[in-house]
Amino acid sequence: MTEPNNPAQLDQVHEAEYEIESMPDEVTTTDKSYSQGRLVLRRFLRHRGAMISLTFLILIALLAITSIGFGPIPGWWSKNHVDLYPIQEVGGAPTLTLWPFSIGEHPFGQSTIGKDYFALVMLGTQNSLAIAFTVGIAATIIGTLVGAAAGYFRGLAEAFLMRVTDLFIIIPTLVLAAVLGRMAGNVGGIFALAGMLALVSWTGLARLVRGEVLSLREREFVAAARAVGTSPWRIIVRHILPNALGTIIVNATLLISAAILVETALSYLGFGVRPPNTSLGLLISENQNALSTRPWLFWWPGVFIVAVALCVNFIGDGLRDAFDPRQQMD
Amino acid sequence: MTTTPRFTGENPVLKFDKLDVQFRTEFGTVHAVKGITLSVEPGEVMALVGESGSGKSVTATTALGLLPKTARIQGDTRVTDKSIGQLSGRQLRSLRGNRVAMVFQEPMTALNPVITVGEQLTEAMEVHGVAFGRDAWDRAVDLLNAVGIPNAERRAKQFPHELSGGMRQRVVIAMALACDPDVIIADEPTTALDVTVQAEILDLLRSLKDKLNTGILLITHNMGVVADMADNVAVMFKGTIVERGPVEQVLLQPQHPYTKRLLAAVPRLGEGHGQFGVAPNPVEPTAEAALDVRDLVVEYHRAGKKPFRAVDGVSFDVRRGEIVGLVGESGSGKSTIGRALLGLIPSKSGEVRVLDQNLLGLRGHELKSLRKRIGVIFQDPAASLNPRFPIGDVIAEPMSVHKVGNAKEREARVHELLDAVQLPRSVYNRYPHELSGGQRQRVSIARALSLSPDLLVADEPTSALDVSVQASVLAMFTELQREFGFACLFISHDLAVIDSLAHRVVVMQYGKIVEKGTREDVLLHPQEEYTRRLLAAAPVPDPIEQRERREARYELLKELGDEVVELDTRELDYDARGPRTES
Amino acid sequence: MLKFIAKRLGISLAILVLGSLLLYVLVINSGDPLQDLRESNDPNRENRIRQRIENMGLDMPWYERYWDWLTGASRCLVGQCDLGTAINGQSVNALVATAAASTLRLVVLASLLAIVIGVILGIITAIRQYSGFDYGVTLFAFIAFSLPVFWLGVLLKHYAAIEFNNWIVDADLSWPVILAVAAVLAFILQAALGGDLKRRLITFAAVALGIVAILTYFDLVTWFRRPAIGIPVYVLGVIGAAVLVIVLTSGFHNQRVRNAVAATAGVALVGYIAVRGFLMTSATIPILLVCFVAAIAVAVAAGQLLGGFSRRQATLASVVTALLASLLAIADLLLSNWSGYLKEQPRPIPTIGSATPNYESTFWMHSLDALTHIVLPTVTLMLISIASYTRYTRASMLDVLNQDYIRTARSKGISERKVITRHALRNSLIPLATIVAFDFAGLIGGAVITETVFGWQGMGNLFRTGLAAVDPAPVMAFYLVTGTAAVTMNMLADIAYAILDPRIAR
Repeated sequence: MTEPNNPAQLDQVHEAEYEIESMPDEVTTTDKSYSQGRLVLRRFLRHRGAMISLTFLILIALLAITSIGFGPIPGWWSKNHVDLYPIQEVGGAPTLTLWPFSIGEHPFGQSTIGKDYFALVMLGTQNSLAIAFTVGIAATIIGTLVGAAAGYFRGLAEAFLMRVTDLFIIIPTLVLAAVLGRMAGNVGGIFALAGMLALVSWTGLARLVRGEVLSLREREFVAAARAVGTSPWRIIVRHILPNALGTIIVNATLLISAAILVETALSYLGFGVRPPNTSLGLLISENQNALSTRPWLFWWPGVFIVAVALCVNFIGDGLRDAFDPRQQMD
Repeated sequence: MTTTPRFTGENPVLKFDKLDVQFRTEFGTVHAVKGITLSVEPGEVMALVGESGSGKSVTATTALGLLPKTARIQGDTRVTDKSIGQLSGRQLRSLRGNRVAMVFQEPMTALNPVITVGEQLTEAMEVHGVAFGRDAWDRAVDLLNAVGIPNAERRAKQFPHELSGGMRQRVVIAMALACDPDVIIADEPTTALDVTVQAEILDLLRSLKDKLNTGILLITHNMGVVADMADNVAVMFKGTIVERGPVEQVLLQPQHPYTKRLLAAVPRLGEGHGQFGVAPNPVEPTAEAALDVRDLVVEYHRAGKKPFRAVDGVSFDVRRGEIVGLVGESGSGKSTIGRALLGLIPSKSGEVRVLDQNLLGLRGHELKSLRKRIGVIFQDPAASLNPRFPIGDVIAEPMSVHKVGNAKEREARVHELLDAVQLPRSVYNRYPHELSGGQRQRVSIARALSLSPDLLVADEPTSALDVSVQASVLAMFTELQREFGFACLFISHDLAVIDSLAHRVVVMQYGKIVEKGTREDVLLHPQEEYTRRLLAAAPVPDPIEQRERREARYELLKELGDEVVELDTRELDYDARGPRTES
Repeated sequence: MLKFIAKRLGISLAILVLGSLLLYVLVINSGDPLQDLRESNDPNRENRIRQRIENMGLDMPWYERYWDWLTGASRCLVGQCDLGTAINGQSVNALVATAAASTLRLVVLASLLAIVIGVILGIITAIRQYSGFDYGVTLFAFIAFSLPVFWLGVLLKHYAAIEFNNWIVDADLSWPVILAVAAVLAFILQAALGGDLKRRLITFAAVALGIVAILTYFDLVTWFRRPAIGIPVYVLGVIGAAVLVIVLTSGFHNQRVRNAVAATAGVALVGYIAVRGFLMTSATIPILLVCFVAAIAVAVAAGQLLGGFSRRQATLASVVTALLASLLAIADLLLSNWSGYLKEQPRPIPTIGSATPNYESTFWMHSLDALTHIVLPTVTLMLISIASYTRYTRASMLDVLNQDYIRTARSKGISERKVITRHALRNSLIPLATIVAFDFAGLIGGAVITETVFGWQGMGNLFRTGLAAVDPAPVMAFYLVTGTAAVTMNMLADIAYAILDPRIAR
């Protein structure tokens, strides 16, 4: 091969070589650096359904909390869920009108004996949300710990998880929840109920976390951490769980929506929230025969359950897409 | 032996004409193939060579019309006289498997796990009307016989998981042959296989084109495979063909700088140290042992069966400043040894002395402080870095586990290490997914060196890298070893890589050591039969030399009483089918 | 494989016993069984309290009470159950006998229907990923996951039962209703079948026209009050089913499968026409079972004899054909009795109970009575299950369709239909086998709610009233029945798993 003496030829060769230099070990060119967390957040914020649902859920929660107040703090709504008010419309029908917009005295109507139904539904929503989120958080913590231990250490923790899982195939979650809910009823208070529900809700998440940990622990970065002498819990907390975060968060939201349905179902059956306190399920249970005569007593609590559960499910879907963009491609 | 025919490109069975492929993705369009022209004639092996991302597999997939819907294809792809772009779905299907067939890279996943091998073979025949029912089954058994699967009658009734990787690849080839296609596209057909199995599969493919006059488009990144198989070569780089020509010309007198660079980066068996510019320092014969393994036994426990002995009484040592290559094929136990040394899996018996302390006898704090002195590099650069950690944290993690220095000192150390592995300091805050494979492997090396270990265990550190990246990583690795003087156990399946940097070599098979000694002794004058087979099967990127090596290997096989694998067409009465009649 | 299933079964039985201990202890500690008496003003109060303590063995330590129950229950193994007495002194054995049948019928029916419908929807949505149909089904699934079962049940009672009963009195279809039904069904079908715009329009038009014609005809002859399939339509139906089976299994070119299916269909037609009159008047469950077994036997024989080399596929196809023909026959027999049933029960869809009490009539009338009682609870119960099977099947199918062996299959030139039915379907069903057990547990829990909504005297009712009264005997009876059913279902799922996945046969 002759040496190129024509300058243009020389340039060509140089250009080609330059291109090759840059190819195999390309230096990053973008200035901005994104952690995986930031990428996930960005994808989540762009998920329209999830963002609408999140806004909606926050609005519902704000409405439920500010209207009748929270605990001893009073809210802006003038009526409460205990007192009896004179019946306004025929049969206590709702005074809410959309056009022209007006709330009226009893926007959601009144119960058969004259209680303000708006206050009752708001209280039920508060209770249902409080229980659902408590269950979601508590069960997520239990499930993550048991699942991580079962996946990483195998042995006893895994055997325990597997047998509990087998147990829940034989005793349905709802049945055990009903028995525990009956017990919690003696203690009283919605947080006792929430605690009991958390005890039966964590297994599904634990199994998923275990599966995730089982595959992560075989990854080479975990082997690298072990080879250096990193302690097991440090590996779990710093190396494995952050990588299982997607599974955990997505399923925590699903746990919350399941908890709403289980709580309302238990209250409906009479093993959940008990009078004089109320919950959306209890309201439906009390008014299920009123569908033909006073439909609002049946519709309002149901609509709120469906709205909350649907929002949480859509948020979970948005999180899933954000954590696992592979499913969105092609 | 016949002389290599010259192919003129006049009667192609497969022809890409100005093929151009773009993909729409989340981040804009990717121009994968940029107007390439290429053809394959009957009986020709056209090798399409390139590194990852060059667009070679996309090109191949186009010939079957199997690209995803997000692809925008321009230009023309012809199989025999039909233009792929103009065919209806039905016409395209009648072409697939019938006129053009494909052999895929991954034999472990290319076969349906719930359907028997025989049924997967008969299926293609029944679809294309080649044979039905009992006839198809008999032909399937004949095909399995032809590709050299013993007990074909029984094997046909088995499921894929009951066959080994090499067997499965033969099944895939048999499947490709089922309808006697005009052209076979082999996409990295031997990449997932061991080198001895690779040689057999290549023999099979070679006899196939000789006996059936089938054209083969061979997609590969391995220059040795090219030298062994190809008549003509096209070198692909970033979606364009930068150089093409007969195999001798391209491999021996490359014109394009990329081809030159690529060939220069291929490690060559027999060239020894210093191939990539730097040679490791010689070791003092009196140097003390950094690692001394005695009668190591490692067993895997299996439910309901007796334990599988993966490592069976292995003894060897690594002296300070020495690189010992541990070579073997899959299942030889070489990686298991690495993992046992790192304490990742328990050893059943034996002794592992690291710097005169028995690793297997230590517990708790003492074990931890010993581990500080052992570094590790793994194979997969994508999996060996925690995706949630920025690079700075990845490299500093061993220091923070062992509580070495304060945050500031660690940062300074990380910067030093980044310099040492030739990465810009700006990657400190980047995440692994933002780096290329070669860069990630440099980060792995930096992490392994962060505690200045006395012993480094490198488990196939360059196997997942492209060859040009491998060369630069190997050069850098050798330089670091010279500089820091750590002892290193270098585990690899690639004899040429071992040849380029190891002082001594240990060859393993089935959990036992077959042969060990100095690099020169083992790789140039092997004593044991297995080592000779292994060396003979490794192809070199020089077609003339490779032809000689192949002849020598046939001699060796004859001497050892083995047969050369070739397509046995006696049972396959292709001629009886007569000329093709379908439109 | 046998070892694998035996091991799983052993674990399940051990868990069944352990679970009984847990549940027993929890139930007796969940409240005070004497509360109602303590609060009463009955002058005889002390006496009644003492009586109840004696009845329920409240003075014994818990482990003795549990042991008593366990020994009584374990005698079920030899067919002599003793499930104890309820709080009011009734024998639980007697309560269980009627309750178990109706509950298991409900749960098993809902489970099977949910699997079939959910898997089919899942496959279609996976194939038509990101189509309008996919989004529609996904939305449906999300709504189903968010609907409280009891709320839905009450709504169905009101709108599906009461409104339907009002409508069936004269079964009038107005034009807007006909057009709306036709438009909706045609829209769904074109979305599911897919294709380019032209093909979709043709599908839509054809389906819509067909439905309008059928509904108009039905309206004219008030078909909904006196429906019938009749022999001609039955013949057409069986032929259609046979064609469908052939297309879905081997395609028409494989004459062995074709012949086997044709033979099966022929025998089924002739056989049914021959026995139809007899079945109409004097059918019983055993007689129907004999007919069914005969049909399957014919199918197996046809497959084995005519299948030749493709014996397995031919047998499978014939059995499916026989199954479809049998279902069609049952449907024909039931529909033929509908007008008679309407005369006896003018408001056919009940909202309470699992059967009309003290109803004396023919076999077919009783069958219709049971069916009309079970239809709404089943719909209520299986909605969530359908949604979850749809989602799981879709995800699993998409996963499988991305596998290398699917690419291999396509590269062989196999049609997309066969890629799905032969290569993808079976692989995508493998992970579902493990879901079945969990879903079944969910259905049993759901049955407790559904039975409450629809006022069934079933096992769920036994559980609910038992638990409310802190009465362990009925609760444990519920547990025994549903737990055994769950273990059985689990075992079936394991067997299916082992059959689907050859890698499991160790």
